[in-house]
Amino acid sequence: MFEKILFKPKVRNIHFLILIIAFGVLLQACTGEPSTTQEPTAEQERQGVLRIALQPIVQTDPAFISSDPEVLIGSSVYDYLVDITPQNTIAPRLAHDWTVSEDGKSYVFSLIENATFHDGTLLTANDVVWTFDRLRDPQVDSPTKDLYSNIESIAASDQFEVTFTLKESNPFFLYDLSDNHALIVKANTSDPISDFMGTGPFKLVSYNPEDRLIVEANGDYFLRDRPNLERIEFIFFNDQTAQVEALRGGQVDLVLLISTDLYNTIKDEPGLVPLESATNSFDLIRLRADRSPGEDPRLMQALRLATDRQAIFDLVLQGFGAMGKDTPIGPMYSQYFNEDLQIPQRDVVAAKQLLADAGYPDGIRLEMHTPDTGNRPNLAVVLKDQWADAGIDVTVIIEPESVYYGDDVWLDVDLGITGWGSRPYPQFYLDTMLVCDAIWNESHFCDQEFDQLANTAGRTLNEDQRVETYNQIQELLAERGPTLIPYFFSQLGAISDKFSGFQLKPFPGRSDLAAVQLANQ
Amino acid sequence: MNSISKSSNNGLGVVPSWWRRLLQFFQQLFSRPVSGFGTAITLVFLIVALISPLIAPYGANEIIVADARQPPSNEHWFGTDNLGRDVYSRVLLGSREVLVLAGFGTLFAVLFGTLFGLMTGYQGGWFDEITMRIFDSLLAIPALLLALLLLGTIANSKYSVLLVIVVIYTPIVARVVRSVVLAVKPQGFIETARLGGESRTRILLREILPSVIPTLSVESALRFSYAIFLVASLGFLGVGVQPPSPNWGLMVKEARAYVTLIPWALFFPAAAISLVVIGVNLMADGVKRLMSPDQID
Amino acid sequence: MAYRQGNDWLQAVRDVSFHINAGETYGLVGESGSGKTTLVLAVLRYLGSKGSIISGDIYLGDQSMRALDDQELRQMWGKQVALVPQNPQSSLNPSIRVGEQVAEIFRYQNKLSEPDAKLQTLEWFQKVRLPDPERVATSYPHQISGGMQQRVLIAMALSISPSLLVLDEPTTNLDVTIQAVILDLIDELISEQNMAVLYVTHNLGVISRYCDRVGVMYASELVEEAHPKELFSEPLHPYTQGLLDSIPQFGETKDRIRLQPILGQIPAIGQGPSGCIFRPRCPVAIEVCTNRPSLFPAGGNRLSRCHRWQEIALDDISVQQTPPSIERQQKGMAEGRSQTLELENVSISFPLQRSLNDFLRGKPRKGVQAVNKVDLVIPSGTTLGLVGESGSGKTTIARSIMGLQSIRAGVIKLHKVSIPDQLSRRDLETLRQLQIVFQNPQEALNPHLTVGETLRRPFIRLLGLPRSEADAKVIDLLEAVHLTAAYANRYPGELSGGEIQRVALARGIASRPDLLILDEPISSLDVSVQAAILNLVNELQRDIQNSILFISHNLAVIGYLADQIAVIYVGTLMEIARQSDLFQPPHHPYTEALISAIPQIDPQTSHLPIHLDGEMPDPVNIPTGCPFHTRCPRFIGEICANTAPRWQIDPRTEKRIFCHIPLEDLLSSQAQSTSDGTGLE
Repeated sequence: MFEKILFKPKVRNIHFLILIIAFGVLLQACTGEPSTTQEPTAEQERQGVLRIALQPIVQTDPAFISSDPEVLIGSSVYDYLVDITPQNTIAPRLAHDWTVSEDGKSYVFSLIENATFHDGTLLTANDVVWTFDRLRDPQVDSPTKDLYSNIESIAASDQFEVTFTLKESNPFFLYDLSDNHALIVKANTSDPISDFMGTGPFKLVSYNPEDRLIVEANGDYFLRDRPNLERIEFIFFNDQTAQVEALRGGQVDLVLLISTDLYNTIKDEPGLVPLESATNSFDLIRLRADRSPGEDPRLMQALRLATDRQAIFDLVLQGFGAMGKDTPIGPMYSQYFNEDLQIPQRDVVAAKQLLADAGYPDGIRLEMHTPDTGNRPNLAVVLKDQWADAGIDVTVIIEPESVYYGDDVWLDVDLGITGWGSRPYPQFYLDTMLVCDAIWNESHFCDQEFDQLANTAGRTLNEDQRVETYNQIQELLAERGPTLIPYFFSQLGAISDKFSGFQLKPFPGRSDLAAVQLANQ
Repeated sequence: MNSISKSSNNGLGVVPSWWRRLLQFFQQLFSRPVSGFGTAITLVFLIVALISPLIAPYGANEIIVADARQPPSNEHWFGTDNLGRDVYSRVLLGSREVLVLAGFGTLFAVLFGTLFGLMTGYQGGWFDEITMRIFDSLLAIPALLLALLLLGTIANSKYSVLLVIVVIYTPIVARVVRSVVLAVKPQGFIETARLGGESRTRILLREILPSVIPTLSVESALRFSYAIFLVASLGFLGVGVQPPSPNWGLMVKEARAYVTLIPWALFFPAAAISLVVIGVNLMADGVKRLMSPDQID
Repeated sequence: MAYRQGNDWLQAVRDVSFHINAGETYGLVGESGSGKTTLVLAVLRYLGSKGSIISGDIYLGDQSMRALDDQELRQMWGKQVALVPQNPQSSLNPSIRVGEQVAEIFRYQNKLSEPDAKLQTLEWFQKVRLPDPERVATSYPHQISGGMQQRVLIAMALSISPSLLVLDEPTTNLDVTIQAVILDLIDELISEQNMAVLYVTHNLGVISRYCDRVGVMYASELVEEAHPKELFSEPLHPYTQGLLDSIPQFGETKDRIRLQPILGQIPAIGQGPSGCIFRPRCPVAIEVCTNRPSLFPAGGNRLSRCHRWQEIALDDISVQQTPPSIERQQKGMAEGRSQTLELENVSISFPLQRSLNDFLRGKPRKGVQAVNKVDLVIPSGTTLGLVGESGSGKTTIARSIMGLQSIRAGVIKLHKVSIPDQLSRRDLETLRQLQIVFQNPQEALNPHLTVGETLRRPFIRLLGLPRSEADAKVIDLLEAVHLTAAYANRYPGELSGGEIQRVALARGIASRPDLLILDEPISSLDVSVQAAILNLVNELQRDIQNSILFISHNLAVIGYLADQIAVIYVGTLMEIARQSDLFQPPHHPYTEALISAIPQIDPQTSHLPIHLDGEMPDPVNIPTGCPFHTRCPRFIGEICANTAPRWQIDPRTEKRIFCHIPLEDLLSSQAQSTSDGTGLE
């Protein structure tokens, strides 16, 4: 202690310290986010950078894409042969005109003659043939192979003409040709996963799977009045709340596919334009019908009886949608939707009885898997509470979308909640989800009568017959189908008011980004 | 014949039995305002964790459609969340999740850490070197990151979280105990014990461990507060816990989506986390002050 | 002055007044709790936030200390008062070179330029007789020895030409031989300048030699003031007399005299009795002593705070209790006694870590040769005193006997049977027979076990008794060391240093060991308590008839207690002699220097201490030949440097001396010096 009397602290040490601190501050200032620089535009009309917040994508090969983000990106870089409008009608795209034979088995398409791929080569019939041959090739094993199994042959009848010959007539063939996967790829592409070689309004600049995918305007697009934007950035977010916060904070301009709760927080926000579209999107809860416990149809019935749909509609959807009747045919298909179809009210006692009859007098424990997006987590929690009253003890397991869909968990588990996007025609669901060997038959449902009805509805050219068949299908599904579909929800999103021209399609991934432009133009 | 027992009272020098000393200890903790406050909060939360199922007015996942998204009121003291669940009940029941998990995790970490610390400090040699290097490398990784890494490889359940807490906090407890052992080991009475033929176990438990206890108490209290925060953080990230568990961290995460509309659903669980962590920390501070006796300069 | 603890003020210094004139050296003597440290802190303005001067003032010349504010205090006071502290190591900044630290003072205080400051520094280093001043100036503090550090601090203190120099136990931490040199150096330097010197110490011999006046402090009060000669020949306060009685004087041995401890304990700070503060411990306290005595003038500049000082002065009462004389047989060295312990040619070395460089070059490990070929025999029932300075290897030897230190060569024999040098290989019976009391009482007992719990372990573990029997034996044991049974329930934290050491002793003898090693057992205790412990050791030995190996650096204490004395220097034994013979010539030159370095209280003898050149050798580089040759005042030539000496045995006394110089030469030369009263220079 006496040493303090004898000497004072070294001045040098303090100087040194200051130097170090200054150095540290300098380092901090140097690193940090690089400011986004404006690239000089080649053509003055194209202005604006649209930043879209999306869940991370898994697939980039058009033959395998399925989620909205994947389709959104794909349809900006590639083109479809024909497109689907927001009103669910067919519009020309790469094919500007077509004819259908009397018997409905032959389709001839005339292609645009000045469309070029991003590397400059001209689009010809060969590319179309190659694309669809690939999509129906069992070796490639795309989800569309069943969809296009009805095609007898595809031929390039001329340089810009393609002829499709079907085995049997298909009233929805044009819709099938506009399937999400049917983006036209350059013939003989060796690496469709990373080539991104399309004819679309935008071309790839860079792709960082951890961060974002950037595309810029295609100056040689065959439609001269588009695209209007200079660039689009698809920015990947794992968390939907983060997406909304980024929108609010101005780091992104557009979010899609958000839950009702999130939508409520931003629909009145200044500077944002809410997006709402009534669709046939639905969340379904399904029990695997091919093994215990779901193979006993009473189980599913018990689950249905234990469900309070009105409560779900009020709590989870808060009015943004329509009530469901356990079939995928929703009110958006006004001509097919069976309004009078009755579904039983909630009856907990009956549910318990059914369980007891099925061999579970003390209730049953189930694990319910669900992806972490949209309203599905809330739905899971509400169902857990409702079903608990009937002795059904559910353990909720929430997984990221990339795991639930990407790792095919959804096709495997006994009890799961899956979100289905809106399709232009209901047959799609029947063929891909419910017929015996459907590619996406997650409930492994197999019913002969159903298959027959589905086949009929899908083949007949007689509209009345189709309506009647659909009614029968709805009744069948309501009685013994494997799915519980409590609602159809509107697609919700929001966009910054700096942009105009964005039209939200029922399947949001198909929304046309080429039409978007800066609001003041 | 006088028998020397712990609780005998021989006139000069009363020696209280160990539980009486514990009670005295708590009395002293309460005597100072700051540490008393912290101890009180900790005790309150511990009691709540124990009896929450008895006092919570609603269930953890009791959904009441009609009451959804209500601000605090007489029926729902903390309001309701977006699904109509009583936030107050969820906070009460959540205390059980968080405190029990953190509590047991800390307990096991302290047990194992003390064991390792005693053995490595006393033995030295290769055992000490290898063990401490392993522990050092674990310590170098931030706790949350390590937790996520571990939970990524093993099953995602409550027991995994328990295991993770033990793995993460054992090294630091071991290190602290070891340093005390190293300080105590060269002291005369330890050597004398060895010279008296005492077995290694006896020396560790009877000669060395009592000197370790003060530091260990402080360290345990601190670890407890860290463990609570870790459990809440993991809940916030949605790891190791599934809805509708009333884990406070998970509640905060879920409430983030609509915080602008239903702020109370986020505020109360967040406040609970803060309060209990602060409380335990203040209590740890108090313990620390009690363990280092006052001295005249 | 008082200290604040919580809300209470504890009085540390009470009503102390004294003055020091210029050119005068004032010694302040006191044990722990006397308040002398507080006083010194105050004089240096370093009381800290918890202490303060309650009343009174300190004057430097005419300037009152309390009249100054902090800034002025620092400037004025700081320039006039200098300190030489107790522990030189902690007073030097370990990260700045020594020369730089000193030069800084010159630059700051005297506003000298850098080169001038450097010159001044080197000048001062020469004045304090540092060998190779340039090298020392560029060294860091840890690279120079304690003695050299202290010289540096002396230089720093004196260089500012203070009007008051405060010396706070400046040599307590130094070896005895170095101590002598430093003390004489200080003495020389202060006589050059006309400073007032405040010399604080507990060592009465130092006071006697170097001070003009002495003040004795006890439990916060000044109890006596006088000239040292008067003070030590005729003390006028019972406490002073008690101090003198409790210290073993030169020539006194345990056989003839029992030391007189002062009964009782120094009161804790702030807990003194009312009335005379020494009353509870005073052998002649009477009624009037319940009134606090003032400082009575006792004739001729003397002061005494005792009501009965006149009676003491007139020899009407005696405070000095004639110790009972003990008629004892002097124990012979080896006749008819069995051997308890024998060390045969024991060498111990510590291997050093090789640097990476050396390791890669394949150089062999260097080692510290701590103990070199030591032969010792301890006959049963006797006490062997092992004396040496720091680093001599005495503690290492003790530890190797106990099994805590492995030996490189040689054999340790217990009762003529060799025992393993590693503790883990020894059986319980061996452990029972060897016990040790360590130096530091603070670490001797487990603070978490009661005294009873600690003491019963040997009974349970080494003697195999059941717990109830052991507990009963603990009571007996406590009585044997003069502690009541109530102590069994106390914790070490509640005991004083002396009481702890008694308990440690009790534990040592509990198993009735055949050999008890005592390693500096009283060095950390107050002087008034040391006597009691020494008496106790003797008493126990009389009862149990155990052998004792007593290790110390204090030759006076060893001279009192031991039957046989061995002198060790840098790991090698230099001399082994009976107690009665050691202090008579012929001496080994090192022993000679040690004996002369003991400061004497008795003012009759006044011989000059022998100064040894240089420093204790670095144990990594022990000198060749005779290890003492680098410092030996009787160095006779190359043979000392090249050849190891042989043991010479004096036929008269069976004294063994490890030296080249023939015994007759030593005898004649040394006998002459003692009669002259002059030392060797």
